[in-house]
Amino acid sequence: MIRRGAIKVVRMIAIVLLVTLGTTLLLELVPGDVASSVLGEGATAEQYEALREELRLDQSIPSRYGDWLGGAVTGDFGKSIVPPVTEVGSLISARLPVTIEIAVLAMLLSLFAAIPLAMWTAYRAGGAGDKLVSGFAFGAISVPSFLSALLVIFFVIFHPGATKALIAAVGVMVVASIVVGWIKADRRPHSRRAWARSAAAAVAVVVLTVLVVWQFPAFPRQGFVRITEGGLASNLRSAFLPALTLALLEASVYLRVLRADLITTLDEDFVLSAEAKGLPAWRVMARHALRPSSLSLVTVAGVGFARLLGGTIIVEAVFNVRGMGDLIVNAIQTKDYPVVQAGVAVLAVVFVVMNALVDVTYTYLDPRIRARHV
Amino acid sequence: MSDATIDRKRLAIAVLALVAGGAAVWVGSALLVDVTAGWRVPVILVGIALALIGLDRALTALLRRRIQIALVLSVAWLVAIVAAAALADFLPLSESLRPDQTLDVPARLRPDLFSAHPLGTDNQGLDILGGVIYGARVSLIVGCGAVLIGALIGGLGGIIAGFKRGRTESVLLFLADLLLAFPPLILLLAMVAVLEPSVRNVTLGLAVLSVPIYLRLARATTLAVAKREYVLAARVLGARNRRLVVSEIVPNVLPVVIAYSFVLVAVLIVAEASLSYLGLSIKRPNPTWGNMIAAGQESFNRHPHLVFGPGIILFLTVFALNRVGEAASSKWSRRRR
Repeated sequence: MIRRGAIKVVRMIAIVLLVTLGTTLLLELVPGDVASSVLGEGATAEQYEALREELRLDQSIPSRYGDWLGGAVTGDFGKSIVPPVTEVGSLISARLPVTIEIAVLAMLLSLFAAIPLAMWTAYRAGGAGDKLVSGFAFGAISVPSFLSALLVIFFVIFHPGATKALIAAVGVMVVASIVVGWIKADRRPHSRRAWARSAAAAVAVVVLTVLVVWQFPAFPRQGFVRITEGGLASNLRSAFLPALTLALLEASVYLRVLRADLITTLDEDFVLSAEAKGLPAWRVMARHALRPSSLSLVTVAGVGFARLLGGTIIVEAVFNVRGMGDLIVNAIQTKDYPVVQAGVAVLAVVFVVMNALVDVTYTYLDPRIRARHV
Repeated sequence: MSDATIDRKRLAIAVLALVAGGAAVWVGSALLVDVTAGWRVPVILVGIALALIGLDRALTALLRRRIQIALVLSVAWLVAIVAAAALADFLPLSESLRPDQTLDVPARLRPDLFSAHPLGTDNQGLDILGGVIYGARVSLIVGCGAVLIGALIGGLGGIIAGFKRGRTESVLLFLADLLLAFPPLILLLAMVAVLEPSVRNVTLGLAVLSVPIYLRLARATTLAVAKREYVLAARVLGARNRRLVVSEIVPNVLPVVIAYSFVLVAVLIVAEASLSYLGLSIKRPNPTWGNMIAAGQESFNRHPHLVFGPGIILFLTVFALNRVGEAASSKWSRRRR
């Protein structure tokens, strides 16, 4: 176990080093002379020399990488070469939290939506609701995130009336299905507690729908408000739509994975025995079936962080959020190579570390994997 | 449902749904012209969904077996879009490439399926349908080209890794892991940051993304295939390694690779569209789905067709590729098991 952990750590460090080396080598791919392509025509010889010095172009690749790495470890990524000249490190420390907040929020939203929906569709596999939700999820997977961002803007910001009507319609449908459930259940013996539970669910849905439609927040079309600037409420309001956009895709992926695993699990004998004991369906689903089915979800959600980092770059552009993606895209357009290099390196390292963490979590979650390596 | 007679009740309901859906689409697109698009679009979408369900049920009732209508339509769509992209120069399209030719064409015309501009015109009076078809050419060339390169290099590497094992495998896998260690879109951004965005360079960039994926897929499949009895039998019969790979391993790895390719083409088309949406890929005057959507988003509150015209085409193509890919992998991976 320890030996295996050590190998993983060494491997992770090797990958981090090679990935950052790769970002250093980026400059080598630039066709022609880097300094003159950045400066354009009409630059003086002094400017040219100064820029070559700044980009360490006169050094050999190993010493250039050594210098860069030495600075990077202490948070010094050099200065941007496009005015306004700023410390790249301070740019990144200002931008990274924004991107991470959106990614984490999207992850939470999608898990929150996907897990109950997957449980319901797996329980009622093949039914009308399952077909509707699964079809929607399959469609949502095929929508590029910049397109779903524009769809979200179109409906939530430009046509809030239609959006409210849609939310109300979904609420009415859910309540109606609960009521239909009552009518059907009337023919079967049922406990008082089951009654109370579904009544509470119906009331909760009604209250929630009315609340959302009545208090529909005015989301900003673009921009991002930090907690330190405008408080938590406006921070969340500005982060919500970008996160929702990402969650549409992400939740669909999770839903499909978890639903498929749940359907397999529901065929197992221990589920049958739990049902035979007379446990209510929700309890069988939540306590008995969910845990053994959640392993591929953990893997997919872990890799999902990569999708989210990539997706955040896109939605930052659509919603004009000043995060890492916006930083990198702008730096590419202005050929601000130190910023590109540092930004790519930071995101790649975050990604590698995240993957390693997921790997460890996975080993702990699944006793079978754990047992194999002891 | 009985075997001999067609279930009339089901058929009637299905036809009713089909008609109602068609009516909703027609009302949404033709009658509700003055209603804001926020209401029109949902009506049309519900109409299409209803019509599709109706068509599905009606065909099921008539043919008395389930046909996968979405799959059939997906294949038809892919054939249509490939044909349109290949024959773009010969189709009677309105001017969609040179803005100096469209000075007398009104800008931002609404879509009208029976006019010279079925999907309307953009900010410069350029035909959107024409742009979408020329854009399809870029998307398909870039997506399929990258997948082809990736499948060749990655597939070969994966088969070698899975067949030879040992040191070769470790080195190849480590290289693949290294490439996969970058978040894909960020690796792509880094590559276009330093290369001139042309069709060739974008294709190469996307191919670099797909090589490690194919390598891992082909290796895993090769490992599974190499364990099978028929490979052992061939070996016992005295087949050399080269013969084993060529006539036993490759034919059994290939279907898995091809099935995955549909999904990967879809992913790469989305990646290219995202890049050109960000303005980092092929630029105007060459239309791509991404740069058309980016150009349209400034005024898409009042002219949603500028975004949703190319957007729907992009969605349908990606959806069709995903659907066909799913069908292919469920067909071919079952045989493998």
